[in-house]
Amino acid sequence: MPDQLIQQIVNGLLIGFIYSLIAIGLTLIWGVMNIVNFAHGDFLMLGMFTSFWLYTLYGLDPLFSIPICAAFLFISGLLIYRFIVSKVMKGPVLAQLVVTFGVSIFLANLAVFLWTPDFRLIEKPLLHGTWEIGSIKLSVPKFVATIGSVVVSFFVLLFLKKTKTGKAILATEMDREAALLMGINTERINSVSFALGSALVGVAGAFLSMYYYIYPQVGGTFGLIAFCVVALGGFGSIEGAFLAGIIVGLAQTLGGFFIDPAYKFAIVFFIYLVTVWIRPQGLLGW
Amino acid sequence: MQNLSFKQISSGIIVLILLILFPFAFPKPFPQHVMILVFMFGMTGVAWNIMGGYAGMFSFGQVAFFGIGAYTSSFLLITYHINPWLGLVVGGLIAALVGAAIGYPCSNLRGHYFAIASIAFGEIVRTHFNNWKLIGAAEGMTLPMLSESFKNFMFHSSKLPYYYIILAFLILSLGVCHFVATSKMGYYFRAIKESHDVAKVLGIHVVAYRLIAIMISAFLTAMAGTFYAQYVLYLDPESVLILPISVQIVLIAMLGGASSVMGPVIGAAILMPVSEITRVLLGHKGTGVDMMIYGALITLISVYQPKGVWGLFSNIGKRAK
Amino acid sequence: MSKKEAKMETKKLCPIAFSLLAVLFLSVSVYAQPKIIKIGAIYPLTGNLATTGLDCKRGVEMAVEIINGKYDLNLPLARTEGLPNLGGAKIEIIFGDSKGDPRNGMAEAERLVTQEKVVAVIGAYQSAVTKTASQATERLKIPYVCSDSTSPTLTERGFKYFFRAECTDTIFAKNQFEFLEDIKKKTKSKIETVALLYENTEWGANVGKAEQQYAKEFKYKIVADIPYSQNATDVSSEVGVLIKNKPDVLLHASYITDAILYTKTFKELSFSPKGFVTMAGYLEPGYLATVKADGNYMVVRSTFALDLAKRKPLVAQVNDLYKKKYGMEMSGNAARSFTAPFVVAEAINRVKSIEAEAVTKALMGTNIPGGQIINPWKGIQFDPATHQNVYATGILVQIQNEQYQTIWPFDMASKDVRWPFPGWKK
Repeated sequence: MPDQLIQQIVNGLLIGFIYSLIAIGLTLIWGVMNIVNFAHGDFLMLGMFTSFWLYTLYGLDPLFSIPICAAFLFISGLLIYRFIVSKVMKGPVLAQLVVTFGVSIFLANLAVFLWTPDFRLIEKPLLHGTWEIGSIKLSVPKFVATIGSVVVSFFVLLFLKKTKTGKAILATEMDREAALLMGINTERINSVSFALGSALVGVAGAFLSMYYYIYPQVGGTFGLIAFCVVALGGFGSIEGAFLAGIIVGLAQTLGGFFIDPAYKFAIVFFIYLVTVWIRPQGLLGW
Repeated sequence: MQNLSFKQISSGIIVLILLILFPFAFPKPFPQHVMILVFMFGMTGVAWNIMGGYAGMFSFGQVAFFGIGAYTSSFLLITYHINPWLGLVVGGLIAALVGAAIGYPCSNLRGHYFAIASIAFGEIVRTHFNNWKLIGAAEGMTLPMLSESFKNFMFHSSKLPYYYIILAFLILSLGVCHFVATSKMGYYFRAIKESHDVAKVLGIHVVAYRLIAIMISAFLTAMAGTFYAQYVLYLDPESVLILPISVQIVLIAMLGGASSVMGPVIGAAILMPVSEITRVLLGHKGTGVDMMIYGALITLISVYQPKGVWGLFSNIGKRAK
Repeated sequence: MSKKEAKMETKKLCPIAFSLLAVLFLSVSVYAQPKIIKIGAIYPLTGNLATTGLDCKRGVEMAVEIINGKYDLNLPLARTEGLPNLGGAKIEIIFGDSKGDPRNGMAEAERLVTQEKVVAVIGAYQSAVTKTASQATERLKIPYVCSDSTSPTLTERGFKYFFRAECTDTIFAKNQFEFLEDIKKKTKSKIETVALLYENTEWGANVGKAEQQYAKEFKYKIVADIPYSQNATDVSSEVGVLIKNKPDVLLHASYITDAILYTKTFKELSFSPKGFVTMAGYLEPGYLATVKADGNYMVVRSTFALDLAKRKPLVAQVNDLYKKKYGMEMSGNAARSFTAPFVVAEAINRVKSIEAEAVTKALMGTNIPGGQIINPWKGIQFDPATHQNVYATGILVQIQNEQYQTIWPFDMASKDVRWPFPGWKK
């Protein structure tokens, strides 16, 4: 029995770290611009497809396509911000909520149009298989994704705390008006944050493509959980998103294993509700 | 209570007459079906507006009330042979109570946090109903085909009775919304939307009024749910409790113009025909183009007409003065 | 003009007039016969089940092509162009997209009947959508022939205009246990416990219920009963529960997305029961194309398999046509949807009418022999009360070397079943 417990904890962590990586990009966008990017899951899907096509057409292993996915999603995010999102920033909150929804529906169906709804899988990534440590099974690609998530989060935090742009982003997150008064070009910060958030989820997509199947609607599944994670961790808090991702992953697997798999997500949502009742700004939010 | 201007009343009556005559100008079921969807979703949009546009609680979990309404009246009909009109009222009351029960602990949540909490609420309800054997769990419920009558709330030979009933429901919701918007309650709602603290200072019992807004919204949404059940005669969690329905309700209210009484109706009048017609014309190819158009439309309206299409009309009206 | 000349004129005119009248009469009667017969087909052509819906669409289109063209195949109406009893009238399919939503099923059925004027409706793969679509056609008194939805409730409604050619989930569930009984006798394998794993919407839940019933009847112990939500991001906890409870056999009812995810997770966590007996998702071309060798040893319920060609050359002939047209082997889904157009067209042709009541009456009398269908049945004949095809039974196929081979009933098998599951190769 303890073996089972450890295995489920391992499973929970493996999926949790992926959630963290997906959520970090989302919380960055959210914290800086107060925009719920409903298209975040679809950016993940684009990252996955980018990795897939690079593998299928050019034989590039997903591990090496990470920088390309990041760059492609960075540019896409920049364009979408510049031409669509920035225009609603001054409008009513509801328009901001809804515009990314339109983008989400558009992107998912653009994928259907371009690549058909068929499922794709990267069959033999460089890193594949399962390690067995005692009786615990550790999926290699998931483990790599976990490491990747930690490394990327670390560098993002480094970027935010140590570079000038990064600090400007944090400042804008904390107090937009003060940042403006301090001479920060908040408009530029917006685009950088949106692009960076998109790039991060593009990286998550590259990792995910190592073991998960790829199809146009895949964004919906992960996107919803990402929102819960971000809200649980506290909007704008990178550390919070990281921590919350792990909590959600563990809650999902342990709850599903010990309580009832059918209620797996209900448990996740319930934890979210309880947390915000006690602490409305999320775990580490301000 | 503000009185409507003569212009507003007269244009309203003209529109109403046109809507009443519509099924005779378009006797085929499909256009009538589209209009029924417009009225039904318009109603849910108006209901959303009461708690969202006016009281500032952006709910993405309305589908839970919709489903509760649909399931309550259907369950009572199938198991206890209780008349669906009575079931409609019971469903509305249960939805209102559930709404208050979940709304109370969420009283401090605002903006995004409230939105996510409402999503969580909707998903919990769906998961629960999906596993609740009493109401059919995932298999759903099929309504018995009773003989056609107003009393049975069921019609087979023509959509017309459904059309007029949902139109009447919509007018009722508009009436409620108008009353709320122009009464002191509406003033309190708007104050709460602006700022909880200011509202408290003004002596408004924030929590109580938030709950009232939720309860009214829930009741009306549940009514629409009962209508759906009586119209389609089959329901399961996948058709009456899923998140995309909640999202559609928000889209309708927002695109039409939240915080205006008629806004959601305009929103529904645009979105429902667009989605139905693109599905009919393009869906069967399976290329996804119809949904691309839908997504693009939502994006464009958000960018270029963020106050909603209703804003267009009121601007025209203002310029005309 | 003299009287004589006038008489001559009239005499000359008569044959002309007569011929004109004859031509007019003939053209009117030909015109009165339809040249195009429209049939409505509702499938999830977009949305989560789009790959499945498009698969079904291919099956339907293939059937129509055979009916409308001239093919030397032992299928109804194949050897003639169109419907011979209606002057060679051709079938035209009008597709409606349900998007997987029962509400659209209803709307599309109504639209197809009242606006597109289809004379019958087929479809809709998902039982929930078929339910509402056929409710609409029942209200409109138009025949509906379903050959791809398996929920038993569809033929328990006492509908007059609804007919189902395909097997029901109740029969499929029973097949699974009959198979286990046969395996026990054949291989002396000890099979006492089963685990039920099923997706938790209308279809899966029905399957779960039927399996619970038959497990009790056949005296197997259910050690795990796990309904789950479709489109999961991760199924470690479900598989963990399975591993913990150590069932001899896993019965899994799933759509394609979860079939893929579960297979990968079974491998990852080394879940190795004696056998996997599955439904639906494992039969789709997308499944095998994605999981490849990991799909080996999966047993799936079906009503079609390519290797049936060994006993029925018709299967190979149809598959060859299908491969030529679409560049891929015919799948189980396409094969199921392939049947309905034939049933409808055959009935219309037999009764020489497109009128709803006549066609419905004709369907009541449908008796297509087994040799004229690609399904492994004795034929198609509808029960007078329920309108369920009395000859519909299931077979079980197993993926061996990344191909579907019929393995049960043993007397229909083309290959021996490979049992038990040997474990996951790295």
